[in-house]
Amino acid sequence: MTDVVFPLVDDEAPESPGVVSTWFVEDGAQVREGELLAEVQVSKIADEILAPVSGTLRHKVAEGQVITQGAVVALLE
Amino acid sequence: MTATTSAPTTRRLTTARAMSEGIAQEMGRDEGVFVMGEDVGAYGGIFGSTGGLLEKFGATRVLDTPISETAFIGLGIGAAVEGMRPIVELMFADFFGVCMDQIYNHMAKIHFESGGKVRVPMVLTTAVGGGYSDGAQHSQCLWGTFAHLPGMKVVVPSNPADAKGLMISAIRDDSPVVYMFHKGVMGLPWMAKNPRATGPVPEEPYGVPIGEAAVVREGADVTVVTLSLSVHHTLDVAEEMSSRGVGVEVIDLRSLVPLDTATVLNSVHKTGRLVIVDEDYQSFGLSGEIAARVAEVDPRMLRAPLARVAVPDVPIPYARTLEQAVLPTRERITAAIDGVLSQ
Amino acid sequence: MDSDIRVELYRMMVLIRTYEEAILREYHADKQPVFDIGAGLVPGEMHLSAGQEPVAAGVCAHLGSGDAVTAPHRPHHVAIAHGVNLDAMTAEIFGRETGLGRGRGGHMHLFDPAAHFSCSGIIAEGMPAALGQAFAFQRRGTDRVAVAFAGEGAANQGAFHESLNLAALWKLPVVFVIEDNDWGISVPRSASTSVPSNGVRGAAYDIPGERVPDNSVEGVHQAAGRAVARARAGQGPSLIEVHTLRLWGHFEGDPQAYRDDLDGVPGRDPIPTYESTLTEAGLLDPERISKIHEDASVRVEQAISFAKDSPIPSGEQARDHVFAQEAHR
Repeated sequence: MTDVVFPLVDDEAPESPGVVSTWFVEDGAQVREGELLAEVQVSKIADEILAPVSGTLRHKVAEGQVITQGAVVALLE
Repeated sequence: MTATTSAPTTRRLTTARAMSEGIAQEMGRDEGVFVMGEDVGAYGGIFGSTGGLLEKFGATRVLDTPISETAFIGLGIGAAVEGMRPIVELMFADFFGVCMDQIYNHMAKIHFESGGKVRVPMVLTTAVGGGYSDGAQHSQCLWGTFAHLPGMKVVVPSNPADAKGLMISAIRDDSPVVYMFHKGVMGLPWMAKNPRATGPVPEEPYGVPIGEAAVVREGADVTVVTLSLSVHHTLDVAEEMSSRGVGVEVIDLRSLVPLDTATVLNSVHKTGRLVIVDEDYQSFGLSGEIAARVAEVDPRMLRAPLARVAVPDVPIPYARTLEQAVLPTRERITAAIDGVLSQ
Repeated sequence: MDSDIRVELYRMMVLIRTYEEAILREYHADKQPVFDIGAGLVPGEMHLSAGQEPVAAGVCAHLGSGDAVTAPHRPHHVAIAHGVNLDAMTAEIFGRETGLGRGRGGHMHLFDPAAHFSCSGIIAEGMPAALGQAFAFQRRGTDRVAVAFAGEGAANQGAFHESLNLAALWKLPVVFVIEDNDWGISVPRSASTSVPSNGVRGAAYDIPGERVPDNSVEGVHQAAGRAVARARAGQGPSLIEVHTLRLWGHFEGDPQAYRDDLDGVPGRDPIPTYESTLTEAGLLDPERISKIHEDASVRVEQAISFAKDSPIPSGEQARDHVFAQEAHR
């Protein structure tokens, strides 16, 4: 089981909250390592999350749900 | 004509990413394809249209230009004439005033004036549309203006799958293609969330034919002809109205030049009622063109007068309440459909 | 300067003048008794280049068919000097099926892809395309160049300034040639241009700029030689302005009532002047001069006959060639 983590998007304000703006892969889908999983946003800055390993994706947060940078957003089984 | 997708896929992208993926795949396939425009390099395009391309292909093939639309659009024309395949971005369609001569008097006319002996295989991409208070000079659609002038194809994708397919078709087309993408369909993280701006996109390269509309929802009671962001709003309205037992057939034009008149006529023949939803200015444009094409074939197809939901002939206002009053909102679309059904 | 080159420059200027005189004749022949611009075998506007031959001959002597040339609404001298197909060009001016554009472009919109030649009727707007042609040549690792011709009036249009800046910024192999014939239709340069010569405008874009005075074909040849060599060597664009002469009106039918220099014009005709120069140098004599004129006349009349014998396009084909048909690949 591997954590998929919200990246440090704004290193000048690491406490700032953000959201997963878009999940590109559905909950329960198979992904390959390196595949684009989601787009995230902190304030004005957007970033992307790529799959760290291959596996089955389990969402832990919903689009638009406010979370912190560094939080676990999904698991890969 | 049904909506185009190839084999079903669960891979989803935003429209912006689908556009840049289409460009990337063609750039990988053909050395002559290159991208040019303001902020298309490190920024990835102000509206995300060229994201990731600079990293992949480098500064010789993804070029940031000075604010010189006449010069760099003309440069694109000259490179195209010599057999390259430039993709040139006009940041906002609203800016066409400073460079329209290159577009309509040169890019669009060289093939004809040369008796077909000189080709201009160029794509001119440009961002269109309002709804986020960007004001009169940064919110226009203007596809009616471009479509009105002979010699350039005009495509307007509404969703990610079409965005990639139309981009690939546009790049491969040997005629100049104006590719107009609405900022509201791009799926930008810094704009209001639009669930229809993300969707399934096949991973392999594929083309969506230019000049073919898509019936994106079938229905028996009324035909709504529309394009771009208005497709999203119309589908929302259609879903709501289906719960009341009204069948709305939604046609996504996808291309304005060439215009798929046959698909429109087939649908109007079936339903007898027509609403046109067009975010461009009402008078002397696309909505009138659709109406004319129905009327000149057989106005008796219509069981009721048609309705147009367009931006009135007013510069687009800044304040939210004023802007929302002129845009073709779900409320206006619903009212127009109800109006056409009640007669 | 090499004798053969000098005689060739003279020969080219004579060919151009012979052509323009023939078009002048044909253009007016069937517009009598009162000038009707839309009448006759050659309808529409006609902008002839008599007097400006030195610019075309001097610059194009340095170019091959692989180099690109863009020209404005007064293009014939440049087209001829750059080797555009004379028969097809003439047929286009006469609006025939065999014309460069199948009759669709006319005299201001001549396209000869084999010579990478194009012209445009919108002032200064033909220049940006030259940048693109130069860009393509550069990208492909060739030493080919693009030359953009324009009038002194064009140097006040935005497209000119944008083009110089971008060509300089990207070090494109372009040569900008301004033909200052003193008149933007009826407005003299002193009433349109803030600088005494457009040659100084090169400095605004950090590129070399110079002015060639006196409509000198050899002066043009030398300046163009330097500019073309710079471009071929990857050193970027240059600007040359030539003070030339518009022998006739802006367009045919222009009564030129505004023109206060008309009396002096015939005396400034560059061809008799150069003819004298070469005669004094022993490179021309009456027999050789006569032969050169005769050859030019034969070639020009051949082109005119070709045009007149060519089919007139049918109205049913008016909608053809808007879009490219099958893809090249």
